Amino acid sequence: MSDFLQVIQNNFPAFLSGFWVTCQLVAISFVVALVVGTVVASLRLAPLKPLNWLGATYVEAFRNVPLLVLLFISFAGFARGGFPVPPLAAATGSLGLYTAAYVAEAIRSGVFAIGKGQIDAAQSLGLTFRRTLRKIILPQAFRTVIPPLGNLTIAMIKNSAIVGASLVTIRPDLLKTARIIQNNTFKTTETFFWAGMGYLVLTLTATLVVRYLERRLVIRR
Amino acid sequence: MGEQQSDGRLVEVERVRKSFGSQVVLDDVDLTIARGEAVVVAGPSGSGKSTLLRCINGLESIDSGDIRFDGDSIPKAGKHIYRLRAHMGMVFQSFNLFPHKTVIDNIALGPIEVKGMPRQGAKDKAKELLELVGIGEKAEAYPADLSGGQQQRVAIARALAMEPKLMLFDEPTSALDPEMIREVLDVMRDLARQGMTMVVVTHEMGFAREVCDRIAFIDHGRIVEEGPPEEFFKNAQSERAREFVDKILHH
Ligand SMILES: Nc1ncnc2c1ncn2[C@@H]1O[C@H](COP(=O)(O)OP(=O)(O)O)[C@@H](O)[C@H]1O
Ligand SMILES: [Mg+2]
Repeated sequence: MSDFLQVIQNNFPAFLSGFWVTCQLVAISFVVALVVGTVVASLRLAPLKPLNWLGATYVEAFRNVPLLVLLFISFAGFARGGFPVPPLAAATGSLGLYTAAYVAEAIRSGVFAIGKGQIDAAQSLGLTFRRTLRKIILPQAFRTVIPPLGNLTIAMIKNSAIVGASLVTIRPDLLKTARIIQNNTFKTTETFFWAGMGYLVLTLTATLVVRYLERRLVIRR
Repeated sequence: MGEQQSDGRLVEVERVRKSFGSQVVLDDVDLTIARGEAVVVAGPSGSGKSTLLRCINGLESIDSGDIRFDGDSIPKAGKHIYRLRAHMGMVFQSFNLFPHKTVIDNIALGPIEVKGMPRQGAKDKAKELLELVGIGEKAEAYPADLSGGQQQRVAIARALAMEPKLMLFDEPTSALDPEMIREVLDVMRDLARQGMTMVVVTHEMGFAREVCDRIAFIDHGRIVEEGPPEEFFKNAQSERAREFVDKILHH
């Protein structure tokens, strides 16, 4: 028991710094995933076949490649090819673009949950396709999509640990910090227990935020 | 708009054909609607009534023929179609209110987004329209809080907010409980009396008799006959129309 307390007491600043880096990773990737996911979903729904294909290609490409492979390509691969990508951009880009494929699919199914009558009604008022999307379809889709989006965010928080397990040279995130501490102290169980607690704090926070949003924004039909 | 502005005809449907796959849904349809006229389109289920309204509104594109609204042909797509639609209101069987917006925002949305009207002005006008359809107190409610009859009246107010030249009603009372049908028909009757041009798909033959100027009877995608309601009910020319009248009046 005292070993557990000792590990956290002796390494608190390091854990805190790792926790903070993980927070940043998650926050930036989340924004990337949401923006790109929305754009890709719009492409898949647009009334123009080539755009549909473009969106579908994105989703299949990013959903079917392991995240670790994306990290290697964006960080090491591009640098070899003469286009070095800053480590933080490689990390958040990979995580964000990877998650965006799932976000796009979630939004798309949220859109399908909206009746065709909604689109008819908006169009009959004279709204253009873009306005229909912005004012009628997407706001409803986002509300429908809050629960699955919450699940994707939780998965993304956990997936962010893959960055710490890879060779991408950003400041150590929570997982990388734990690996360093474990290397120095050999207290494996104790160290990773505290890393796990850090991830738990983030995922529980995400869960609570989703619950709150659900209660505030859910649409009664 | 078009050069025929002064002409009495607001809608001209000419030799329109429309198929879904191999199924012909509108088969050489001709129909003219004069300004200020209220026309009921009647016919059995599946005969093409909704499709006809949707083609007039450009929600479906036609295969051949022509539909002119206020002198302008309804294009298949492009910017122009949005401009034309803004001058037509459409009311659907299933109301189709926007569930994430309050009643007043449902009504103000069109004027704000399409006409670029200032928010406050649009809301004031929405409030007036809400009073007009008899539910001024529901401005801040959400559609889900309203009865079917109230929702349909909001849908009518939403269409009217665009100050349309033409109102299209697709079975506006078919999804309502019997006790709510009256309140919606009353609003529609007042509109017709005030001179609104309307095309109404309905099975409410009492309404047709009392309010409309003309009935167009459609069967298998063809307009089989057209005439004043009394004429239609008393001595319909075609076998199909007589059967239809019989069934509707004595069910
Ligand atoms: N979007 C569509 N795709 C395929 N078939 C359709 C579509 N809309 C309508 N139809 C078919 O066209 C026919 C006429 O439909 P509709 O105009 O809705 O008839 P009504 O309103 O008179 O009941 C029906 O057989 C219907 O199944
Ligand atoms: Mg119909």
